[in-house]
Amino acid sequence: MSSPTLDLDAVDLSDRRFWGAPPEQRHAVYDQLRRERPFAFFAEPVVPYIEPGPGYHAVTRYADVEAISCQPALFSSGAGAVSIADMPPDLNEFYGSLISMDDPRHGKIRRIVAKAFTPRVLEKLVGNVQAVADDVVARARRTAEDGDGTIDVVADLAAPIPLRVICDMMGVPEGDRALVLRQSNVILSGGDPELVEDEEQMVTAFLKAGEELAGLMARLAAERHAHPADDLTTALVTTEVDGERLTHQEIASFFILLLVAGNETTRNAISQGVLALSEHPAERERWAADPGLTRTAVEEIVRWTSPITWMRRTATQDVELSGQSFPAGSKFLLFYGAANRDPAVFADPHRFDLSRDPNPHVGFGSRGPHFCLGAHLARREIGVAFRAFADQLPDLEVTGPPARLESSFVNGLKRLPARLTGVR
Amino acid sequence: MTRVVVDREVCMSAGVCELEAPEVFELDTAGRLQVGEPTDLTAVETAVRACPTGALSLVEED
Repeated sequence: MSSPTLDLDAVDLSDRRFWGAPPEQRHAVYDQLRRERPFAFFAEPVVPYIEPGPGYHAVTRYADVEAISCQPALFSSGAGAVSIADMPPDLNEFYGSLISMDDPRHGKIRRIVAKAFTPRVLEKLVGNVQAVADDVVARARRTAEDGDGTIDVVADLAAPIPLRVICDMMGVPEGDRALVLRQSNVILSGGDPELVEDEEQMVTAFLKAGEELAGLMARLAAERHAHPADDLTTALVTTEVDGERLTHQEIASFFILLLVAGNETTRNAISQGVLALSEHPAERERWAADPGLTRTAVEEIVRWTSPITWMRRTATQDVELSGQSFPAGSKFLLFYGAANRDPAVFADPHRFDLSRDPNPHVGFGSRGPHFCLGAHLARREIGVAFRAFADQLPDLEVTGPPARLESSFVNGLKRLPARLTGVR
Repeated sequence: MTRVVVDREVCMSAGVCELEAPEVFELDTAGRLQVGEPTDLTAVETAVRACPTGALSLVEED
């Protein structure tokens, strides 16, 4: 793709407004960074009450994202993977859980958790994804019928599916689910002014959200100890590997990780998948007519949307990447959406092609120990959701531009207006 | 004969192999990967390539 040359010096990836702009803009910037400044250096965003760090390198080439991900001993997650600034260690671990840990601790906890999260266990737990999707779709149609025919793709379709699936898995009671949605929105708001009204209060808002979720977890865990149920929370509080159990703190932070990660990522893949299909009507028709396309279509939606914009790594010693040297302590943000449009790996990368195969995207992270634990759940949810939309909402029509989340970390939509044209 | 080797130090029990070749790979109730006879070699090769931690390899034995 030939694009006009941008003034890269005027680009600031730390400015949250950059991420609220239409994605074409970021992809034009990614393309040019990849070509001209594959390790572009940026100053850190200002977070109230947090000491600003030395800045970070934006990694935009697929090969470099992969090289960093698969060398966890050289590129640590333990200093913080989900924030640019170094957070106080306890905060970092509480909100990041596994994501912000290195081996051996990461390996130990991941193995305990994996036991509760195998494809076969999931199969049993989430046999209801289809039922959830069907019900959500039916409710969306009723909402349109009871009103003026319009719906919000985010609130009526994309948010409730993963929320209900993850809450079913964890055994979160119906009455607590609104709280889960609200607090996970705050934790991943990136400080978007609509979700965190006062930027000065951002850290306080995060803490309060975490506290509320941890409180819910403590209540559930106590209940499950007394009355084990067939859910993931029971598995987490009772699981032992080599005689070791997860501590209360580890369970609480993993619980938050699952709720937050299990909600936001899949929601944004679904909402932006709907948007992508509305922008590519021929692809939408092709998929509607051919359910066999689902496997590759799901991968393409994840590549195209790249719901998590970056994860961070920190050099544990002096390192070299593609012939360039970086001192110990250098921070790297792995821009997955940029790697996922790298022409060195993807032919015609800006083409939305539901039958793209192979599609070695890094939307779930690149090769390495931090590869997304929920990838198989997400794939399944997305596949089931879009088949339900194709079969039951063929009259779904996006009617306006989305409201984008102003966050550099989560590539998300707050709203996407649509209507069901079959509703009169 | 082809055999699958698992590097236990590296395996993270992500379950990607089990999705690619469920007849051959299974994470048991302890989260440990169990490997059966590599019957469907194409699926096994896909699983080996797909492993996010590179814990799987194929070796030829007589």
